[in-house]
Amino acid sequence: MDFPTLISHIDRTDPQAAANSAALDALVADLRAELTTARRGGPESARQRHVARGKLLPRDRVDAVLDPGASFLELSPLAAHGMYAGDVPSAGIITGIGPVAGRLCVIVANDATVKGGTYHPITVKKHLRAQEVALENHLPCVYLVDSGGAFLPEQHEVFPDRDHFGRIFYNQAHLSARGIGQIAAVLGSCTAGGAYVPAMADETVIVRDQGTIFLGGPPLVKAATGEVVTAEDLGGGLMHSATSGVTDHLADDDRHALAIVRRIVATLPPAASAPWDVRAAVDPVVDPASLHAVIPSDGRTPYDVREVIARLVDASAFHEFKPLYGDTLVTGFAHVHGHPVGIIANNGVLFAESAMKGAHFIELCDQRRIPLVFLQNITGFMVGREYEAGGIAKHGAKMVNAVATARVPKLTVIIGGSYGAGNYSMCGRAYSPRFLWMWPNARISVMGGEQAAAVLATVRRDQIETRGETWTEADEHEFRRPIREQYEEQGHPYFATARLWDDGIIEPGQTRTVLGLALQAVASAPLAPVNYGVFRM
Amino acid sequence: MFDCVLIANRGEIAVRIARTLRSLGIRSVAVFSDADRDSRHVHSADEAVHIGPAEARLSYLDVERVIDAALRSGAQALHPGYGFLSENTALAAACADAGIVFVGPPVAAIEAMGDKIRAKATVAAHGVRVVPGVSGVGLTVDELVAAATSVGLPALIKPSAGGGGKGMRLVTDIDQFPEQIAAAQREARSAFGDDTLLIERFIERPRHIEVQVLADSFGNVVHVGERECSLQRRHQKVIEEAPSPFLNDTEREALGAQAVAAARSCGYVNAGTVEFIVSGSEADQAYFLEMNTRLQVEHPITEMVWGIDLVEQQLRIAAGLPLGFEQADLHPRGHAFEARVYAEDPAAGFLPTGGTVELLREADDLAFVRVDSSLRVGTRVASHYDPMLAKVIAWGEDRESARRRLDAALANTCLLGVTNNIAFLRTVLSHAHVVAGALDTGLVERIDATVTAAPEVAVAAALALLEHERRPGPWGERRGWRLGEPAMVESRLVDLNGHRVVVHLRALDGDWEATVDGRTWSASAELVGARLSLTLDGVARNYCVVVGGHTVWLGVGGSAWCLRRDVAVGGGGLSKGVTGGSVVVSPMPGTVVSVLVASGDAVVERQPLVVVEAMKMEHTLRASRPSIVSDVMVQAGDRVELRQVLVVLEPDAADNPEAPA
Repeated sequence: MDFPTLISHIDRTDPQAAANSAALDALVADLRAELTTARRGGPESARQRHVARGKLLPRDRVDAVLDPGASFLELSPLAAHGMYAGDVPSAGIITGIGPVAGRLCVIVANDATVKGGTYHPITVKKHLRAQEVALENHLPCVYLVDSGGAFLPEQHEVFPDRDHFGRIFYNQAHLSARGIGQIAAVLGSCTAGGAYVPAMADETVIVRDQGTIFLGGPPLVKAATGEVVTAEDLGGGLMHSATSGVTDHLADDDRHALAIVRRIVATLPPAASAPWDVRAAVDPVVDPASLHAVIPSDGRTPYDVREVIARLVDASAFHEFKPLYGDTLVTGFAHVHGHPVGIIANNGVLFAESAMKGAHFIELCDQRRIPLVFLQNITGFMVGREYEAGGIAKHGAKMVNAVATARVPKLTVIIGGSYGAGNYSMCGRAYSPRFLWMWPNARISVMGGEQAAAVLATVRRDQIETRGETWTEADEHEFRRPIREQYEEQGHPYFATARLWDDGIIEPGQTRTVLGLALQAVASAPLAPVNYGVFRM
Repeated sequence: MFDCVLIANRGEIAVRIARTLRSLGIRSVAVFSDADRDSRHVHSADEAVHIGPAEARLSYLDVERVIDAALRSGAQALHPGYGFLSENTALAAACADAGIVFVGPPVAAIEAMGDKIRAKATVAAHGVRVVPGVSGVGLTVDELVAAATSVGLPALIKPSAGGGGKGMRLVTDIDQFPEQIAAAQREARSAFGDDTLLIERFIERPRHIEVQVLADSFGNVVHVGERECSLQRRHQKVIEEAPSPFLNDTEREALGAQAVAAARSCGYVNAGTVEFIVSGSEADQAYFLEMNTRLQVEHPITEMVWGIDLVEQQLRIAAGLPLGFEQADLHPRGHAFEARVYAEDPAAGFLPTGGTVELLREADDLAFVRVDSSLRVGTRVASHYDPMLAKVIAWGEDRESARRRLDAALANTCLLGVTNNIAFLRTVLSHAHVVAGALDTGLVERIDATVTAAPEVAVAAALALLEHERRPGPWGERRGWRLGEPAMVESRLVDLNGHRVVVHLRALDGDWEATVDGRTWSASAELVGARLSLTLDGVARNYCVVVGGHTVWLGVGGSAWCLRRDVAVGGGGLSKGVTGGSVVVSPMPGTVVSVLVASGDAVVERQPLVVVEAMKMEHTLRASRPSIVSDVMVQAGDRVELRQVLVVLEPDAADNPEAPA
């Protein structure tokens, strides 16, 4: 395709470019360090105990069930970061997408070295999110179960509500009903509610003398009925494979169980073919390695988002739509790893024209079955009397409406700020993009910390001055500081990813690969038909 | 000269004979069994006749079928090659009856030389020296023992009718004689239908030297020099050379004269080989061993040194033409070596192997190298026939250059799909004693054949598999991609003998960091077709590679390895009377019919343990893996319940629990 080639205007010898690189390099280095820590899992003693029992560590299990050397698009590896006293790395569960026997699957693996693999509130949320990914993208699920069930001290936030523990099994039933394979390998405990993960699965493997499934463990049984029974007799692999029929395959050890899982996946019917044509990938012409130099170290500094697009898309080729209209929003067609994409990227604050252009472009892509990629760097919609009078709320609503209802897969990358209604129109988490990631330099909150402090200070000053009192500059400064600090902390990507507001923080340099992996994954689900004409707004 | 000749053989020799026939403008006819329908020898001949099933007895060894093939194809002559019917007088006689010329010696000569005892007597009468010994025609064991003591120790017992070293026994102690003689008789009787034995002095550090002779039907006999075949394994020749580095010109001439005398003693016509055993300490102590009344496997080295096509000479002689030269016209030039490529596994005690040739590169494009081969890609090597697959022959101005050239030829040979001895041949060729020419027939067996794949090969295998499994698109990469830094890619591999190796690879930019057994390299690999270019710490090496499923064959420098992903298969679940666990339970409520093991027994995989009758069916319960019976809980006649424990097994400690099932 002869889309025009974007040209970079970045001079890497420019001191600002060097400063930009250094700043982002430092953020990426910190991210890698956090990932390394999280991926270690539970404490050294717990890991040693785990391995001493002949069990594979959970990440080794994931590697062994995946095709050899395969890529794994992990979801939210920094979940629960800084939560629960920092004791629950990755929320005690590994989730992600990877090929098993050539078939893309969602993998959900408990980490028994983290609090016995028990479910904290964020663990539940992460498990449910993985199932949502499976549902939306028609990806079979492989559950590598090794969990003590709900984390009892927090049962009130784990057990009762709609999106709590019970939803896992509800989802399994509905996923299975849609023909999305549910496969479980019981590699350790599967107690109480956890017993339903294998029980609800389509096909289940258990490891002899290691995996156990029971509604009540030996201590509970003794308390309830006085019966004294060993864990193996109560719910061991041989019993469940030969007597109860809860499991279908008896494995000798983890590796054997995972090999059986791979054979099971090989029996699944093939995935649907992509709803769009996928062509051969071409590397960007503009060197992606210079991406760090593009992003200003100060998030308030404007820059041309086409510099980012040029480093993400195939051959840096970009067919821009409405370049002269509403130019604070860049829209256009490109390919990423051979997949067609419609790119929507912020290049300043949203005006009415930008919002209408965005709505128009979203409908175009939806009609044409072209997945959407949102590159979010948005402080919000323009404010002021003129703009309110111009109906910016209704124009913004058009774009929000189009985003909400487009049936094509949407992928969102927050590459800078994500503030206010801009987050909505640019497909924030509430708009169910198939995936949403943040860059380590991104920030997310209802408004900027400085603005929030200013707004609250203005309100406060009005109250004080209405009472006829005075508020010194120093007092106002002290008032503003904690607000700024709160926004800085809560708007930080680590805070956001810990709570699963995203699917993970990604290195800017890996964005192209992540998008390519995700586009292939979202291509597994068929698209519903469109039943509207494109509106020219 | 003939217009059409039938080749009553298969494999490399049939291919080789067809080549000469073609060069002489003679139509060639091959024969083939069911197993050889698509074999190289069938394709090398102008025509081919099917002669029966794979079993040699019903095809290549069936005189009637072979003669019938010759008649049907209009062949005027029949070349028997070596082995099979080549020294069978029935074939020679049947040829005569059918009016077909047998390309070989007269029946009388075959008979005279076919029986080792008679042969010795015949040649000895004509002044040829023989090893001290006794022949045992019609002797009892006791008489044999008595006679054997006169030969002196150590002594060798051989079946008179045998050949190629089959059934030979070495006796070093006088007391062993009765027992060994009785055993040798039994073996000879079952193998050859003739238990006549030959007992002779065993020559220590002996050298096996043989002389090629040519005799026409006009009484002209010449020798075409000697070949040394001392490099043998279990009496199977491995590497041969011509001339022998052991003989000086005087000794050579004397040996040649002895060979000519032996040929004359039996009225020999056509090509033949007179074998001598020569004491390793004195080259002039050469004794007649036997005469082979056919073309020898190792004939090409003679051809290369003497510039004579022996098959052409055989055909000329058979056609009644006189030799075109006299002894004085014949002059050797340079030196030649031959190495025999066998389908055998040196690392597993030289057990015969098999398989399908997946990739073949033969070195016959090198100057002064000749490859006589039965192989082509797709050839299935099975156990029906001789495991020799090909011969690699190299010539040089002198012994050392010939040896180096053969080594280079073997290094440039790549045979994947069938485990073979090429690497071992190179080990033998580079042994100091071989380099020095200090050969003896026990040397090869003293060379350590246990070669395991170097860790570099494991890296090559792991990368070949990953490269092969790569697909287009970001999900097709096999580099352990993760958010942030890549994951370690672990490849667990196992070779055909069950040796395991784990390769760890970490993607580093475009390359890899590879670790095996604590050794680390920077590595990069490129797989283009069947070639893997592997660079380790900056040094690039090309491997021949064939990948199929989880299995990879790699070849470099003549060596070949087969590694596959070590996928866990487990010991089997509880099904159909096979238990994977420590207890064997009754599959049905029923009655124990019999208990076949007792406590303490070692049982092998699938061994029956207990038979239970239920619902008119007998269920045989078997061990799922090698185990020790630790407890038998029932006896015959017991009523048993569903899933009642019958036998308790403990894993057999001797059994490697990691062995592939």
